[in-house]
Amino acid sequence: MVDKQSTSFMRSLCMGDIEEDVLLPFPEMPAKDAETLRQVVASLAQLLGPKEKDFRAWDVAGELPAPFLEELKQFGLFGLVVPEEFGGFGFGSTAYSRALQEVSRYDGSVAATIGAHQSIGMRGLLLFGTPEQKRRWLPKLATGEMVAAFCLTEPGAGSDAAAVKTSAVRDGDSYVLNGNKLWITNGGLASFFTVFAKTGKPEERGKLTAFIVTRDMPGVSTGPHEDKMGLRASSTAAVFLDNVRVGVDHLLGEEGKGFKVGMRILNNGRTGLGGGCIGGMKRMVELATRQAKGRVQFGQPISDFGLIKQKVGHMVVETYAAESVVDLVAGLIDQGYEDYAVEAAISKVFATEALWRTTDEALQVAGGNGYMREFPYERALRDCRIFRIWEGTNDILRLFIALTAMNDVGAQLADLASSLKGVLADPIKGFGVLSDYARRRASLATNVGRGKGAFTRLHPALRDSAEVFEDATRDLATAADRTLRKHGKRIVEFQFATRRLADIMIDLFVLAAVLSRVDSAVKRLGVEKSVREREILDVFAGQVSRPVKSNFGKIDDNDDELIKHLADDAFEQERFDWDNL
Amino acid sequence: MKILVTAKRVEDPESKIKVKADGSGIVQEGLKYKMNPFDEIAVEEGLRLTAKHGGEVVVVSIGPKDVQEQLRHALAMGAARAVWVNHPGPLDPMGAAGLLQKVVEKEKPDLCILGKQSIDDDQGQTGQYLAEWLGWSQGTFASKLDSLESEAEKAKAPAIELSADGKTLQVVREVDSGLATLACSLPAVVTTDLRLNQPRYASLPGIMKAKNKPIEELTPAGLGVDVGLQVEVLRMSPPPPRKAGVKVGDVQELFQKLKNEAKVL
Ligand SMILES: Cc1cc2nc3c(=O)[nH]c(=O)nc-3n(C[C@H](O)[C@H](O)[C@H](O)COP(=O)(O)OP(=O)(O)OC[C@H]3O[C@@H](n4cnc5c(N)ncnc54)[C@H](O)[C@@H]3O)c2cc1C
Repeated sequence: MVDKQSTSFMRSLCMGDIEEDVLLPFPEMPAKDAETLRQVVASLAQLLGPKEKDFRAWDVAGELPAPFLEELKQFGLFGLVVPEEFGGFGFGSTAYSRALQEVSRYDGSVAATIGAHQSIGMRGLLLFGTPEQKRRWLPKLATGEMVAAFCLTEPGAGSDAAAVKTSAVRDGDSYVLNGNKLWITNGGLASFFTVFAKTGKPEERGKLTAFIVTRDMPGVSTGPHEDKMGLRASSTAAVFLDNVRVGVDHLLGEEGKGFKVGMRILNNGRTGLGGGCIGGMKRMVELATRQAKGRVQFGQPISDFGLIKQKVGHMVVETYAAESVVDLVAGLIDQGYEDYAVEAAISKVFATEALWRTTDEALQVAGGNGYMREFPYERALRDCRIFRIWEGTNDILRLFIALTAMNDVGAQLADLASSLKGVLADPIKGFGVLSDYARRRASLATNVGRGKGAFTRLHPALRDSAEVFEDATRDLATAADRTLRKHGKRIVEFQFATRRLADIMIDLFVLAAVLSRVDSAVKRLGVEKSVREREILDVFAGQVSRPVKSNFGKIDDNDDELIKHLADDAFEQERFDWDNL
Repeated sequence: MKILVTAKRVEDPESKIKVKADGSGIVQEGLKYKMNPFDEIAVEEGLRLTAKHGGEVVVVSIGPKDVQEQLRHALAMGAARAVWVNHPGPLDPMGAAGLLQKVVEKEKPDLCILGKQSIDDDQGQTGQYLAEWLGWSQGTFASKLDSLESEAEKAKAPAIELSADGKTLQVVREVDSGLATLACSLPAVVTTDLRLNQPRYASLPGIMKAKNKPIEELTPAGLGVDVGLQVEVLRMSPPPPRKAGVKVGDVQELFQKLKNEAKVL
């Protein structure tokens, strides 16, 4: 059995190892949760289904009305992830993600409101809260009597979270907080704030600490709802902290560990947003298919045309792939894996981008109607744009994915460098590392003697796609090694190269998830009855293998420098340089 | 007041129903199921009556193990407990009424509320058989005097009224020429029409509570009922596909077409 504390599928993959134990079988929702969710799904259809017109109006008005929020609370939607002993419903990551999927089929603003409350707002309390803190706040958060918000971003600290300036100065057995938080989801509704503030000296970077701040504390205030592109009915507001005195019993986690607390919260909550993306995609498939069958041009429903089928077919494949990767990550979290940060980040990047493409294509299928406010497409497109920006921009997450997944490779190379020196001083110890490394490189190059280089438990019907994956794994391990040897620690400065590796990793992990899910389907339904799912796998593997190959090719042969010149010129001129006039 | 309500499992009308090629039935693979919508209205009315007058709602369903899903749904809406008559085979209205009669004799409710029909076979007979065989008064197709947008509906008041002495029910029913109001002496059987109420959804607290509510299992044999079919389905066939319609420019043209082409005016 693999060690659930330290094994990461992607870190192993970068070393050339396919950890089948992590991947297979595809995680299944416990039957008890599945039954609950079926009922929740049916009830949500009754609660949210009749409100399509209202959602459109609330998008324009920029607010969810209080009586409707009250209805959501009565339904229990604010207590999904709160343990039952504190009055919630004890959903794990899988069930929670599935519930958010369902809410998102109806409205993004509603999903964002309950999502921010539970995925990030109260997650610090769930993960790091003391028993006393949990007893004090979870029951009120479960009923929605208190709404939660996550306050990290500041005017000067977006992607660079460590640049937070809000300060927390110790004074006796309390801290005094001062600072402004920007664009806080639920800011206008919340009375429970997870706030990140700096406990180090002003000139020090980092040294963040997480605090629980409540609205009743003197000095806490919030700005008006921001006027936004999408998710307009959800509340986004600034949060101001003016000499707010917070007791030490309001500390979340240890002093100085706030950055880690924040990252754990985001990683752990990601499958909520992932579920939301899947709900949006499923809705787009429903809308686009109905729209295409009903629209007649050239004497035929446009659903007869190849280019429409191509779009809808890809929408189906992308939705299946996104659902596979989000559910796999949720399953890993529920099974107790602890090192899933890379995998969770991949699921966020892939699901949010797949949703964007799917929504964009659905709008294209709808043609001019898609552009009209009367139809749901344009709102869906506006609503989902932020997903690629918040909870870590997809660009920053790409850097994070590649650099973190290559940790083991880097560590081995570092060992190697020191042992090259060490061989002379301590030949026996040094030689061990050296020969390990030499053996691994030789086996990667020859594909002989690799312990975990191939799948052993996949259904034989999936052989072709499995091979795509295995070949690419070998390339990935070779590429990671080569890239790190080339750039060493300076890899952080080579974002073009890092991004290419990240894209390969994203494609591969999503393919792994699809392989796993289709494998379970074939084993459950038989080869014949799983034909559609096998087709999805074939399409997806084909779709992934081309960019993966081209990204590998570009590691040594690319136009990075040309692109940089063009960008630098544009920065210099601050305009486009050519004109045919 | 003790009220027995029914919760039949039916195909979800939103799912695409296909008839098997040999006409022996419908393709069940991939179908979704739900509680018969008229039964949902029955459960709702039962809950409103007990909320106002006290007592409990007991829900009953007949069918294979899967019907427990519909029983759980009724329990999640607020019913106190459930009775499952385990009968996986086919059933016609007389068989269902026969089984329900025995359940009623066992449970001794003051009132039975059923849907006026179930949306799978649309036969609409079970309630009437049941009332007849029990020798109880019956109020079929119960409806609401006020609209579903009214204040009474918003206040979740029951549409079926109980007399001050608690001995009779006032049931409003829709008839061709308008509304008829019946007084039914208790015990009685009532069947629900669409416009009786707007059923509540099951909230999460309700769904969680329902997990611990009891479902009692009974069998036709145990109840001493022979559910031999009086009506046999010989063959099913899908309705012929609809022909494309025509668009008319204005009311004038519509009249012309109805008169000259369709010859219905
Ligand atoms: C509707 C909405 C709701 C939000 N809700 C919350 C909330 O609830 N809580 C909260 O704390 N925050 C919230 N945010 C803030 C959000 O998380 C940030 O906007 C996000 O983290 C990006 O930060 P930024 O906007 O400052 O962009 P910047 O960090 O300024 O980034 C701008 C661009 O530069 C890129 N970039 C930045 N650094 C690098 C680098 N090192 N290398 C390469 N590229 C780089 C980014 O990828 C991006 O494309 C919300 C924002 C919005 C719009």
